[in-house]
Amino acid sequence: MTDTVLQFDNVVKRFGDRTILDGVSTSVQSGEIVCFIGPSGTGKSTLLRCVNGLETIEGGAIRFEGTPVQAKQRSIIDVRRRIGMIFQHFNLYPHLTALENVMLAPVIVHGENRKTVEERARGLFEKVRLSHRINAYPAQMSGGEQQRVAIARALATNPHILLFDEPTSALDPETVGEVLAVMRDLAVEGRTMLVVTHEIRFAADVGTRMVFLDGGKIVEEGNPREMLAAPRSERARRFLSTISNAAH
Amino acid sequence: MQPYYFSFRSIYPYLGDLAAAAEVTLLLSLLAIVLSVAIGSGIALMRRSNSRLLRFFAGLYVEVMRNTPLLVILYIVYFALPQLGLRLSSFNAALIGLTLNSAGYMAEIIRAGLVAVPSGQFEAAFSQGFTRVQLYRHIILPQVFRTIYAPLGNQFIAVILASSLASAVAVEEVASWMQTVGSSSFRFFETFIIAAVVYLVLCQIVNLGRIAIGRWLFRQPEAYR
Ligand SMILES: Nc1ncnc2c1ncn2[C@@H]1O[C@H](COP(=O)(O)OP(=O)(O)OP(=O)(O)O)[C@@H](O)[C@H]1O
Ligand SMILES: [Mg+2]
Repeated sequence: MTDTVLQFDNVVKRFGDRTILDGVSTSVQSGEIVCFIGPSGTGKSTLLRCVNGLETIEGGAIRFEGTPVQAKQRSIIDVRRRIGMIFQHFNLYPHLTALENVMLAPVIVHGENRKTVEERARGLFEKVRLSHRINAYPAQMSGGEQQRVAIARALATNPHILLFDEPTSALDPETVGEVLAVMRDLAVEGRTMLVVTHEIRFAADVGTRMVFLDGGKIVEEGNPREMLAAPRSERARRFLSTISNAAH
Repeated sequence: MQPYYFSFRSIYPYLGDLAAAAEVTLLLSLLAIVLSVAIGSGIALMRRSNSRLLRFFAGLYVEVMRNTPLLVILYIVYFALPQLGLRLSSFNAALIGLTLNSAGYMAEIIRAGLVAVPSGQFEAAFSQGFTRVQLYRHIILPQVFRTIYAPLGNQFIAVILASSLASAVAVEEVASWMQTVGSSSFRFFETFIIAAVVYLVLCQIVNLGRIAIGRWLFRQPEAYR
């Protein structure tokens, strides 16, 4: 039996009179790794941000573990406490060390005991292979290191799903690999992940499902390897050929 | 021009009063600084509130305080309020006037610091489930105070210098010492120069104190001088 972690029902999102998401319906089961791909400006980030209420939706519904996600309600705090998000530009807290970045939410938001949290945080630094950088400030770290701290920070609250918004797009090519390696480890652990990415190789190797979004709609979804080998829609085919050309 | 012979010796008898006056100036200034940082923070947060009304009143407050002379505010608090039955001591009246005035400037400095915090900080914190209060307390304000620590220092000094106007509402601080001693000893140069030096020293003390506290608060020292 699989549990539905996330359910999108006909989600509509507008900015002013522009419709960004135009009736998106899909769901994410526990343990799935769903990769969202699509051209720039189609609303991939927006969709991710609707999941934890960073954006409000104008139509349809999103359910997280059965609870409706309502961005303006107090209940959103409870939803966010169970979701981890990783951003393109890391967004680490610059005034805190790597360790403090990871510990802040468990201590402040979840009211956990400092000692317990620190122990868990040290374990997380081992997992992201950064035990030697625990006392560094974000400004003293490379992009790849910062992004791995951001992953540790997201993991620190034991989230039920991880949302990645182009986690490697702002990185130098040499450091992309170290972040993807950590994400592969998370996949092996059976984490539920929703990943917006242009890393087609990663999506094919690790993803359990691929969703192609264009013009605010899901154009095609399915097994990543099958979809890459033989996209059913013309638009997906064209998009995949442009990004695989760019990659070579 | 005629020659002038300095005689600091003739000021000696008044130095005891000067020490007391300097103490009043320092106390008045420090209290006004602390209170106006607190009130200014509140006004700055109000200016970013979702409520139009709060934003309007916060904006109005800042403009009124920045566009009226401190002397007028002091007169209103000290001479006009008693007509409404609110009688304040000289010191308290000066403290209130100075604080209200300085809070307008502090609010603008703090607002500039708030604007400088990237939106990604709010998003990261919200995504982790921080409430607005937790977010400001642990993530936003610490960053704001780091970026504005130097301009804040300028305003601290402005408060100390502005406290000299408290002499106009009968507070016995350094400027009032200067006026009294100047006219009773006729040693204008000496008293005025001594007063200037006292202000300079007080400003330096407060500034060095600010830097020391900043280093202790913020740990990474090089960025906050
Ligand atoms: N706060 C906002 N206000 C107005 N329009 C916005 C806002 N945020 C995003 N948009 C618009 O919504 C559209 C979708 O943006 P989104 O960032 O979700 O695209 P994306 O698929 O993530 O693109 P990319 O691959 O470039 O990251 C874009 O046209 C963008 O300009
Ligand atoms: Mg995006």
